[in-house]
Amino acid sequence: MKEKSEGFKPFYYLLFTAITLAVMVLSICAGSVNIPLKDTLTAVVNAILNLPIEEGAQSIIAFVRLPRVLCVALVGAALSLCGGAMQGLLRNPLADGSTLGVSSGASLGAVIAIAFGLYIPRLEALGTMGMAMLFAFLSLVIILSITYRLDYSLSTNTIILIGVIFNMFANSIISLVVAFAGERIKSIMFWTMGSLSGSSYSNALTLLIALLVFGAAILCCSRELNAFAIGEDNARHIGVNVKRIKMIVLISVSALIGVCVSIGGTIGFVGLVIPHMTRMVTGPNHKRLLPASIFTGAAFLMLADLIGRVLLKPLELPIGVVTSFIGSIAFIYIFYSSRKAR
Amino acid sequence: MNHLKKTNHQASRESFRDSILSPKRPSAILALVLMLFMLTVIVGGCTQSGDEARQQIIVESLDEAAGQAEAGTQGQAGGGKAAGMADRAADNNDSSEAVREPATTIELTDMMGREIKLDAPAERIVVLAASDCEILYAIGAGETLVGRGEYCDYPEEIFNVPSVQSGSETNIEQIIALQPQVVVMSIMSQTKEQVAALESAGIKVVAMNAQDIESVYTAIELLGKVVGRSAEASILINDMKTAFTDISTKAVNASASASETETIYFEVSPLEYGIWTAGSDTFMNELAAMLGMKNAFEDIQGWGEISQEQVIERDPDHIVTIAMYFGEGKTPVEEIMGREGWQGIKAIKNKMVLNVDSNEISRPGPRLTKALSAIYEFIYEEN
Repeated sequence: MKEKSEGFKPFYYLLFTAITLAVMVLSICAGSVNIPLKDTLTAVVNAILNLPIEEGAQSIIAFVRLPRVLCVALVGAALSLCGGAMQGLLRNPLADGSTLGVSSGASLGAVIAIAFGLYIPRLEALGTMGMAMLFAFLSLVIILSITYRLDYSLSTNTIILIGVIFNMFANSIISLVVAFAGERIKSIMFWTMGSLSGSSYSNALTLLIALLVFGAAILCCSRELNAFAIGEDNARHIGVNVKRIKMIVLISVSALIGVCVSIGGTIGFVGLVIPHMTRMVTGPNHKRLLPASIFTGAAFLMLADLIGRVLLKPLELPIGVVTSFIGSIAFIYIFYSSRKAR
Repeated sequence: MNHLKKTNHQASRESFRDSILSPKRPSAILALVLMLFMLTVIVGGCTQSGDEARQQIIVESLDEAAGQAEAGTQGQAGGGKAAGMADRAADNNDSSEAVREPATTIELTDMMGREIKLDAPAERIVVLAASDCEILYAIGAGETLVGRGEYCDYPEEIFNVPSVQSGSETNIEQIIALQPQVVVMSIMSQTKEQVAALESAGIKVVAMNAQDIESVYTAIELLGKVVGRSAEASILINDMKTAFTDISTKAVNASASASETETIYFEVSPLEYGIWTAGSDTFMNELAAMLGMKNAFEDIQGWGEISQEQVIERDPDHIVTIAMYFGEGKTPVEEIMGREGWQGIKAIKNKMVLNVDSNEISRPGPRLTKALSAIYEFIYEEN
């Protein structure tokens, strides 16, 4: 058998980076307001070089569109990476933040923070974010420990069942909190719809740091995730520190999902569909799949956001609507065509 | 099983505990379910009678109030329940009883076009929409209210009235238990099935549908007829019309000097949750026109989510936010003033950002005049 490099080749890196950058340029150039290319370019360059920015069209690009596109790309990358890692770790093609109920858990944390006004002075966003991360992790622990007690092999059916039930549980508590929240009900209702429209550079920076730290942690485990894909016992037999890897991946995933949910609300389908689509190109090896998922996730979410911004302008379509619509159709198509080919 | 060999008495006692844990004995489970059922019936009965008792108290206190009014001691005691503009109505007439029109059949057509006949002015009313409650108090008929929708929160006295669930979760049982003669509901948030259910219980339903200021007047007129206070209703309508015309004339005169029509942008939901604005067919749009201005998002129908880009491009002269402030962090105005990329907007440069009470500006009730004068004062008088 011919020896093949299992890593991600530089060529692929270049290709994926190029695609992502192309989508990013498109997203920055197009939007609900048409802006001449020259102004766009000047604004982007000035924003990067920290030069003063003209009012009007240029400030739209520099302060509204650019940070938003960056946030969307980073959220897409993070969610997609989380989905890919969870699918590998749990040997479960349907594992994802939203199907496992982790996103709802994070939402619950954020809703509690909003409803009871938990915040740290001068860092208003941190209260919501901290609670979202904490609750994402707690829900992951609860879901997995219940599943373990029922079914040691963490089979697809059990875990999805528990996830769906936890999802409903978290949502019912959200409704309960909303019922007690009184006047704040409006804020919460708008929050649960999810929106990245108010993204700022500081949000983008938070996402970037989270992705660098926790994303790197997940990527470092990709070799071990390959072993997990065959079976947990198998992984243990070939010398993988199963407990440690699991903890690293689970903590990283819940932290990333927590940050994403607290900034952009619940955005479904990205973590579920994108790793599958990527897997068709790269194959199941996590060393290739995970880095590629980062790029495809970013590109997918930027496109979805672009459609949401442009389709009904001046109105905006919630990003979750677009991702679910495109994602579910794409998923069925992939599923159908791959089954047919077999 | 082991304990089947024991005496019957013992066995049944022990197996009862077992049967809770294991589904081996269907009869025992059946018994348990029956017990639970009985328990709920008993508990339910208790609360039911509790409700009745409370109702009795309400009825008695109402009778008492009526008695006081009849005894001529009305003045402040009974009038305290009516608020705001009702005081004016009370000033015009010595006794609220005298205002009541003679008890003949009242015929009215509600805002769904349904014909309704009342034998006499209604004395026990349940109102589900907050705006209609405000109207009722404003025409001095607050004491006819025996139940209010859960979101009715103005004026303050309304909290003494028992609340019922409204909207899609409207609790028909709760409403029937209050024994109203008339239920006033807004067809925006209620369903036809709910209307039918109430009518089959013998309760008259008056449907409201106020989508613009003109139909707010219709609503006031209707409610005036329902409680037999048409005179107060027309006073209220005239007061509102006068207030609107006064402000509007002043505003149009003041804005006439401007070279072009100034624009106003209404923010319904703050940036943190995705910004929503009010377009055409909203009260805010009408108020903008009264102020001699143009709504910056006239091209949107109703309420809609928009992007920041649009706001910056349209460069509004004034910004009105209806965000609520909970007393922590930045105020809504501070938050808008500090938004990145918004610094070039005329409204931000000239500090023309105002926070208006969302209930005043979005409810089809008498307080719309307050919202208008708040915006007018901010734009034309403070600067």
